[in-house]
Amino acid sequence: MSVLTANTRRDLEIHRYPVLVYAMTPLIALVLQAWLPRVVGRYVWFDLPLVVTVYFALGRRSPIQGTILGGALGLFEDALTHHAIGINGIAKTIAGFMAASVGVRIDVENHTIRLALNFLLSLLCSGIYLFIYRFLLGMDLEWNWLTELMKGVGNSVIALILFPLLDRTQIRD
Amino acid sequence: MESVFVRYRNLLVLLAMLVAQIIGLAVQVRRSEAGHNSIDTHDGPGVRLIRLWAESTVEKPERLIHNSKLGLFNLWQGYLDLHNVHRQNQDLQKTIDRLRLEQASMLEDARQGQRLQALLDFQQKYIYKTQAAQAIGSSGTDQSRIFYIDKGADYKLEPDMAVITAEGIVGKVREVFPHTAQVLAVNDQTSGAGVILETTRTRGILRGNAVGQTQIVGMLADQRIQPGEKVLTAGGDQIFPRGLPVGVVEKVVRDPERDSFIDVIVKPAAHLERLDEVLVITSTQNRFSDEQLQDLATSDALKGAEVAAIKEQQKAAQQMAERLPGLADPNAPPPVAPADGSTPVPPPATVPAKPPIALHSDRFSPGAAVTPVVAPAPLVEPVKPEPTATKRPVTTSGIPHPVKSPAPAGAAVKKTVSPGTQPNTQRRNP
Repeated sequence: MSVLTANTRRDLEIHRYPVLVYAMTPLIALVLQAWLPRVVGRYVWFDLPLVVTVYFALGRRSPIQGTILGGALGLFEDALTHHAIGINGIAKTIAGFMAASVGVRIDVENHTIRLALNFLLSLLCSGIYLFIYRFLLGMDLEWNWLTELMKGVGNSVIALILFPLLDRTQIRD
Repeated sequence: MESVFVRYRNLLVLLAMLVAQIIGLAVQVRRSEAGHNSIDTHDGPGVRLIRLWAESTVEKPERLIHNSKLGLFNLWQGYLDLHNVHRQNQDLQKTIDRLRLEQASMLEDARQGQRLQALLDFQQKYIYKTQAAQAIGSSGTDQSRIFYIDKGADYKLEPDMAVITAEGIVGKVREVFPHTAQVLAVNDQTSGAGVILETTRTRGILRGNAVGQTQIVGMLADQRIQPGEKVLTAGGDQIFPRGLPVGVVEKVVRDPERDSFIDVIVKPAAHLERLDEVLVITSTQNRFSDEQLQDLATSDALKGAEVAAIKEQQKAAQQMAERLPGLADPNAPPPVAPADGSTPVPPPATVPAKPPIALHSDRFSPGAAVTPVVAPAPLVEPVKPEPTATKRPVTTSGIPHPVKSPAPAGAAVKKTVSPGTQPNTQRRNP
């Protein structure tokens, strides 16, 4: 239980990063998200902006920052599609808020937790996207849950590799 | 009051963000008279500005990555190509020669077709001008089959222009930015292109599904539609010119919502997932472009006389074939080519094993001692009434073809032997 609960000072530490990392990581994630589908074809089983949102929301442990970062990246993703701007924005706003809220309470250094959190938040984002499109906007959208499951797995795997790399850029006292 | 804001500031920020985005969504969605909600085909100024910012942010890095990849690829490809360039040139020259011959032979038909279309007041649109462009980026999600090309308003691109490759159609320009343009692929759920099946001439609307396949939706169930049939653009959507290749029918599935309807899954001719270079049709006209006319004239000048000579030879050969009695059975199956690709061996000619029987035999005639003297057979076999099912076919010139015989090709050669040389029992059998 001590692994899962943030009851030490280190667990509750707010991670800090150089400004360049704050600025460049989301930008690189967005560029790669827009470019990589041309390489991998139809296997777009990842959402790099979501992974980055979750990482910074967990690391900073600030729901406000997680909300704003998620919202901004989601809106940016929407702007690159031909769908209404705001669908991904809302989904990632909620994901960022939830990731930061969870990060306050649990040990986010644990790999299993990171993996599970990415998988669940990925599915949550897909669910919110579908809800907004079909029920809030009342438009038709065919949906394939298998793809969304694969996307959740893909995000978890990417997080498993990316999070330790980004951890190395932390500013330590 | 201040403490409430401080205490719930996280939730308040979340709510503020959500409300702002929901209002933004409400502004973008339109309700049609039929009661269906939809997003505007072309964005409003505010939305367009956000899209422009986003695209401008990722455009430069995407171009950099794309050009780097292209540069490395070209370097390697150029090195490899040097080995085969001479042979490829020869092959290409042969192909051009053959295509010129074909083009020249079709030229007269094309002119006649155009004259007839003009008479019928039917205006065929031809691709008049195209602009080559490179695909540099995508939307990043499989919910939106959008990709970006590196040409925009600076190359006079406009919304609703058709985007194609040499293989087939790709999509249409949706939004044009100063240096880039957004292209909606045909396998997106919101796209729509008028198509026609080549053989059955059934029309339908092509669009994408959830997994990125292209399908023709809302077609009445038709047994004639089979996998492998070609799908072409119908030309009725005012975007794609008529007759462009779309793909082939992959399979036919029942419409899950309507019993009597089917969805035809189409395998697109263009590689929609791996696009590099595309062509944007910037202009269509009712006539051929100057380049096409010049090409036709060249083909006609180079190969016109050759085509005319070939046609003349074919015509003469056909006339000769109609006048002369055939040696081969027209109903006989064609000779089967051997598996190794060599030329088929013709059936061996029938050689009489024995010398022919003399009409007036004497003791020196071969076999005179054992062969009884038979009455000479008539030179012309008496005509027997034929059943109606085996009537001789009559050619256009009024000359009947020889009687069709079920015997193999080798037997047909035997018929040319003089009638008196065969035993009577063989000749009397029909």
